[in-house]
Amino acid sequence: MSSRDFVYEKFREFYSSSSFKIPAPVGFSQREFAFLLFKERIMARHKGFASPPLLGSFIRQHVPSDVYYSCAYYETPEAEMDKKGWVGADLVFDIDADHIPTRCNKIHDSWVCSNKSCGFGGKGITPEACPICGGVKFDVKSWPCDVCIDTTRAEVRKLVDMLENDFGFAASEIHTFFSGHRGFHVQIENESIRDLDAMGRREIIDYVSGTGLAVFQKKTRQPKQKTGVKIFKLSDYGWHRRLKNGIRRFLLNATKDDLKEIGVKSRIDVILQNRERILQRCLEENRWDAVKGVGFETWIKIAEHIREVEAAKIDTVVTSDIHRLIRAENTLHGKTGLLKIKFPVSQLDEFDPFSEAVAFKEGTAKVLVSDAPEFRLAGQTFGPFQNKSVELPTAAAILLICKGRAEVVT
Amino acid sequence: MQLETVKFTSSEVAKYPFLKETTAHVQKIGLDVEDFNSPELTKILNRAEERVKAAILDVSVGDRSSDDVKIPDDVEIPSFPVAIIIALATKNSFIKKRYALAEAKQAHSHFQLESKQRLLAIARNFGWNIELNGASQPPSEFILNFADYLRNITHLRDEKWKLINRFLVNGKVYLNHHDVARLLQEEVQRRLEKRLDAKELPPFPRKIMDIAEQLNSLAKEKLGEVEMESFPKVVSQSAFPPCIVALHEAATKGRHLSHVGRFTLTSFLLAVGMPPEKVTEVFKTFSDYNARLTRYQVEHIAGEKGSGTHYTPPSCSTLQTHGVCVNSDGLCRRIRHPLAYYKQKTISAQPTAGRV
Ligand SMILES: [Zn+2]
Ligand SMILES: [Zn+2]
Repeated sequence: MSSRDFVYEKFREFYSSSSFKIPAPVGFSQREFAFLLFKERIMARHKGFASPPLLGSFIRQHVPSDVYYSCAYYETPEAEMDKKGWVGADLVFDIDADHIPTRCNKIHDSWVCSNKSCGFGGKGITPEACPICGGVKFDVKSWPCDVCIDTTRAEVRKLVDMLENDFGFAASEIHTFFSGHRGFHVQIENESIRDLDAMGRREIIDYVSGTGLAVFQKKTRQPKQKTGVKIFKLSDYGWHRRLKNGIRRFLLNATKDDLKEIGVKSRIDVILQNRERILQRCLEENRWDAVKGVGFETWIKIAEHIREVEAAKIDTVVTSDIHRLIRAENTLHGKTGLLKIKFPVSQLDEFDPFSEAVAFKEGTAKVLVSDAPEFRLAGQTFGPFQNKSVELPTAAAILLICKGRAEVVT
Repeated sequence: MQLETVKFTSSEVAKYPFLKETTAHVQKIGLDVEDFNSPELTKILNRAEERVKAAILDVSVGDRSSDDVKIPDDVEIPSFPVAIIIALATKNSFIKKRYALAEAKQAHSHFQLESKQRLLAIARNFGWNIELNGASQPPSEFILNFADYLRNITHLRDEKWKLINRFLVNGKVYLNHHDVARLLQEEVQRRLEKRLDAKELPPFPRKIMDIAEQLNSLAKEKLGEVEMESFPKVVSQSAFPPCIVALHEAATKGRHLSHVGRFTLTSFLLAVGMPPEKVTEVFKTFSDYNARLTRYQVEHIAGEKGSGTHYTPPSCSTLQTHGVCVNSDGLCRRIRHPLAYYKQKTISAQPTAGRV
């Protein structure tokens, strides 16, 4: 049996079992569904279903490797793209280790340019274009690990904080999911934002990602008076509040190296010796000229750093796309065999995808692992492996096969 | 949102004829569009024509009092829906756009003078989720739901309108009287443009058609001037600002463009008059080129499909934040928008010909 057939067979068993159920998203019959088909290896798009059982039997019949539905609501979801009749879309955020620099991606991620005459490659995040030939297609090897999850988790935490406190969404309206790979989806179905166009959504993106904050615009960098730093007035609302709290936290805990790292060159000792006094003068009295030699440029550097720290690193393309397809809840991810699953936003800190998103809980399989780092799944630790034949629980075997790191041994 | 029974007087409805109450007032008067020969209806028709005419000429809606006689409310109010019928009958997108803008500007000049309470009542008439700010902090007069806010800032380019530069607390944006008046102007314009976008039109009475025809020839004259004021018909690549040159070059060489880069290039080319098919061509060399998708995106930005919004390129400051602004030159320092650059350069390079 080929590895592909093995995975197909396991997916088929999973979708045939009585425990499999897709929760129907709001506006179910207005959504477009799409499926990546195992056998044909093509995307079947523009499907619409009148009810969840019909969707269930389609999945059982075709056994797709991935199931998606549109964040959009359409009059006719089965129609061609320009004839669907867009009526609205959920607000969707994607936070994925593919796009965020993590401590671990230089260790377990690599890419090779697909251009055969080039073949250039490297470690870490895949570039937008090949630095040698400019090609945009790559063969990517990646791995989901605890560091990836915790890094993206921290971004979700910041995002959720803004959605709750700034945008005023109730915790019950903010749906948080593990994506099935190495990141999270956050989805809001609230009616008041449904009809927002791409431009309106861009404003939300810019807000959560800290883009276009006027404190840093060039205009303010050329102070009118000599003591131009005074225009840098921070209030207690919106992003100002985030900057203010962030600056306070940063300065109180900063080391010499922290300041150097963000580009502060002079008078570091003066800053560190007078932290409290500086914070009082600057943040409370708006007297940014409190310390001699610590000028506007220094404050810009510190504030710029805080903006970076406070911003939620979302994949901006996803949120502005009002036709985006998103993975369906409780379905399998074709690259991991893990489930996309929902969890209460209040459990963000404790949620462990490597035990809760495991779909295949029974049996074992023998696989030849080409290479894999040490990993954790369903309470067990495996690896690292290097050209090794080994018998593993089904979930671990499928993860390795789906990530292109192992083949079934028959 | 609580439903208060705010009453608008007939003189208020005359001032703000886009309010919901207009329908009731017009019904009360008993307007019969078939009978334009009655003296009452002639007055209404004249005033309606005046509204559209003034919009074409100087983006106003004309003067309500002529020869020191103020037009009565029961002429002024119905003249608005009749003016819409006239604008529709012209089937001229220039006239429709100008008229929507003129009504919105006119309304704005009144909004600025309104009391807080009346402004609130008007905003709620539009279905806005808006309240007076009961607290003293943050200092502002109104609090508006952020979604209502976002719907009305699409065309406002100043950085102060960006959501991130607003006090956003618990889903509410804090605004002063000025801000609300400006956002209401956008709302009026948006609503009117939508009404004027009606596709299925009934046959219009003779009188209406005659007026529409006259207005069309007036618009033709005016349009000639406006086009001279704005862009020449021929797309002049040598007048592209440096950022667009870089994006255009990257696109034609098949290099990858960021989402913002793609959007900027597409909306810029459309704005300077390149037909959508030609814009789609520009992206053809991409390895991930997908003809149908690209055409869809281009047409979406052009406003032919999808939401119906016509997008303009982002301002220089936005392009700077996204790293799209490159190789800026002397002219860049004097402008704040890539289209302003193009306009400046084409006008200075253009001989006096070029009219259509
Ligand atoms: Zn290459
Ligand atoms: Zn990792």
